[in-house]
Amino acid sequence: MVVSAVFALAISEVNILGFVRGGDSPLGLTLGLDLEGGTHLVYRAMPEDGREPTKDDMEGLRNIIDKRVNEFGVNEASVQLLGGGVDSIPDRVLVQIPGQTGTAITLSFAADTVTPETLEAFFRNELGRPDAAVTRNENGSLMVQLDDIQGESESDEWRDAIIAQYPVALQVGYILPQTDSPAVGDGDAGKLAPDEQVTTLPSLEDVRDAFVSVGRNDVVIDTVDGAEGLFSIIMYGMDVNTTDESGRPVLGEDQRIMAALREIGTMQFASTQGTLMQWTLGGGVQEAKNLIGKTAQLEFRYRECGDILAPSDDMLWPPDGLSENEWLVGRCSNPAYFTESATEIDAADLDDAFPDISGGAIPRPIVTLVFNEDGGKAFFNVTDRVSRQDDRLAIYLDGEELVAPSARAGITGGRAIIEGGSFTTERVRTIAIQLRSGALPVGLDLIQERNVDAVLGKDSLQKSLRAGGYGLVLLVVFMIAYYKVPGVIASVALVGYTVLLLGIFKMIPVTLTLSGAAAVILSLGFAVDANVLIAERTKEELRSGRSLLAAITAGFDRAWPSIRDGNVSTIIVAVVLFWFGDRFSTSVMQGFALTLAVGVLLSMFTAFFASRLLLRLIASTWVGDKPHWFVPVRDQTPPNAPTSGGAS
Amino acid sequence: MDIIAKRRIFLSISSVLVVISAIMLVSPSLNLGIDFTSGSTVTYQFEGGNPGTDVVTDALARSGHPEAIVQALGDDQYFIRTDDLGVYGLDAINEEVAKLQKAPAKVLDTSTVGASVAEDTVRNAITAVIVAVIFVMLYIMYAFRSVPNSYKYAFAAIVALAHDVLIVLGAFTVLGIAINAEVNAIFIVGILTVIGYSVNDTIVIFDRIRENVTLAPGREFRATVNLSINESITRSLGTSVTTMTVILAILLFGGASLRDFMIVLLAGVMVGTYSSIFVAAQILVLWERRRFLPWRRETVSTS
Repeated sequence: MVVSAVFALAISEVNILGFVRGGDSPLGLTLGLDLEGGTHLVYRAMPEDGREPTKDDMEGLRNIIDKRVNEFGVNEASVQLLGGGVDSIPDRVLVQIPGQTGTAITLSFAADTVTPETLEAFFRNELGRPDAAVTRNENGSLMVQLDDIQGESESDEWRDAIIAQYPVALQVGYILPQTDSPAVGDGDAGKLAPDEQVTTLPSLEDVRDAFVSVGRNDVVIDTVDGAEGLFSIIMYGMDVNTTDESGRPVLGEDQRIMAALREIGTMQFASTQGTLMQWTLGGGVQEAKNLIGKTAQLEFRYRECGDILAPSDDMLWPPDGLSENEWLVGRCSNPAYFTESATEIDAADLDDAFPDISGGAIPRPIVTLVFNEDGGKAFFNVTDRVSRQDDRLAIYLDGEELVAPSARAGITGGRAIIEGGSFTTERVRTIAIQLRSGALPVGLDLIQERNVDAVLGKDSLQKSLRAGGYGLVLLVVFMIAYYKVPGVIASVALVGYTVLLLGIFKMIPVTLTLSGAAAVILSLGFAVDANVLIAERTKEELRSGRSLLAAITAGFDRAWPSIRDGNVSTIIVAVVLFWFGDRFSTSVMQGFALTLAVGVLLSMFTAFFASRLLLRLIASTWVGDKPHWFVPVRDQTPPNAPTSGGAS
Repeated sequence: MDIIAKRRIFLSISSVLVVISAIMLVSPSLNLGIDFTSGSTVTYQFEGGNPGTDVVTDALARSGHPEAIVQALGDDQYFIRTDDLGVYGLDAINEEVAKLQKAPAKVLDTSTVGASVAEDTVRNAITAVIVAVIFVMLYIMYAFRSVPNSYKYAFAAIVALAHDVLIVLGAFTVLGIAINAEVNAIFIVGILTVIGYSVNDTIVIFDRIRENVTLAPGREFRATVNLSINESITRSLGTSVTTMTVILAILLFGGASLRDFMIVLLAGVMVGTYSSIFVAAQILVLWERRRFLPWRRETVSTS
């Protein structure tokens, strides 16, 4: 008996040690949003044209959103369908994005002057982040991955440090205004030439004044020998942020500088190198919402413009008393004069879509599309027709007209670019991801949102864990003081129970949430209860005059039915809640139910096997010669005559 | 100790508490959070000192939210509840709040719940609890099949359960008035925890009754119940004291966000322990004496 007990004990200890190893860092547990911080979004699928979404629609929806979120650079984001029981169709999507402050920064420099290696060295040596890992993305941008970021302010400091570290080299060239020929290069520069009276090239002073006018008197400006009107400028810390602190779009410093430089003369060209073009903290909530919720239905429509010449001789042409010039613009831009029809260009024929920068003096963010063979063919056919009839190809995204370009000839090669007046670097990136992942089969409506700051979660978790620790210590003190030897055993079993529970949570893995923590407390209560029941029963059996070992055996046997029935009822509650949890828009219920079920099963196991074995083992040593050590404090007086009819 | 003899006192106390709670639930009713009413919440952390509730309320009104409810959480944190802010509504509030101090206030937590979600939550929560209760009743009837009339045990356990939940809800109504404690998703979890504890605690006492009835079938039922209560009361108190120790520790030293939740658990454990002994077991005795219709027995004995 003792041998088997020792043997089983050894196994249980090995088990416990194994789990200790598995769970040696409690923070290695999968933490829920409320503890770790993050964003929780619930969307409802909208019926389209009176048609309810099908199961396939919802599955497709889930896959596409999953793809989008992953491309967004968020680790461990989860996308779940909610609602619907066994037979009905889910109608909601829950997207959980952990760590809203982000663990990755995406940045890009104009003209790729910075290598991943030098940036990584900068993060490690200058910014004190040895955990930084920098890689280059396919589109040329750089991604910095970090273990954690302490809020946006830290990332802002880094951004400023990087801007200050890497100089921006600017070259501008001016020419004298020429009235007889258009400006070389992009039309913009020529059109914007402000003043016909300027007859000399800007001087170095003029350029300096232009910089001072935008608040920059710290730049180094050089003329280039032998080339009049050509200047090279070196400056540090150019702020290219195109959004202000609250996320609204503003003019970047580079844009303001360009505007100032254009005012002093006719610019022939301008080039910048080393500008920080993009700085995105992975997991910006607003961007995530834009990315996920948009259907991203890309549509190419053939726009048949009004006839250039009168359709018949007896008509007054152009119509409505418009002039020739007005008509040339209006025939393709005023919905009253053009008609649109669908084309064979199908967004499903897209092979790829990526953010890009257009050529020309003022680079503009664009999206480049790459079609497959079918798409390429259709695109050629349509553009060919557009070019011959002087019509337009109108491009819509989710019903919003992006651009309606003309074409000079049919476009071969299956590549197209789309640009839009409202395009920013961020927007272009988002659209590219959306197009790559495909259009959503149904529309979405954001019905619930919750953002938790990572710091709040961490703080509250740490405080509560510590508090739980105090509670456990008090509990152990109480149990040992009151129940003595069985109290010690119960405490050992409880500590083992806690370690096992955390180990199991890590292995399954169960996501630990605030509600899960509640379930842990409840199951801890049940684990204590089981031990208390056993101790009380053992005491009674001792009182009725049994030997210690016999009393322990009988005590366990008689405590068992109540432990079993109580715990089974609790498991029933947990199962029902888990079953229903799917219908709630929060994971609160399911987290609670799963944690409770695991906890209660485990508490039955530890109480019945671990406590029993330990108690029997101790009882068989010299401690067993002192039966009064097994009786609670209150009952120190010699055992009374049995009061219980059952204690025979 | 003859607890059964004093049952009228205990049952009266319970009845009074249940009636008061029921009245409280109708009016003034619980302080329902956005999970039930829909709307938005924001939690700010002020970093340059504490502006005070009135100042924050004024700032909210200036940003177009006179309906906002502002509540100080301590540690310079403020919890704000408004109508549904939509996608961009937070910006306007942030702007006004940022003007209050030199150091910017940090948004710790925001949450928005649409009206349809709120309806679903209420309906699903109620359905889930009812289904769970039915299954627990069935299990108790099965587990106590060795004693006569096992359905009575199931019924008594559920009465005790309803008693506990009602009183905890009533107590929370008071807290809603006193400290603005709000019913949210976590509160539902708290109630579920109370349900789990209450049923478990009741079953332990019923188990003792089951055992004693089987061992001495001839004894008067009332005496058996009294004996069983006396035998298991140490355990009941032991368990509730230990559980409350953990809850109290978290209540006192844990994060502020857990405060309301721990209060629910604390109340639930106290009421749950009380009702197992003084309500559930008493109902069994009343019912046994009258066979059926325990309420008739009550009216007869009090008149």
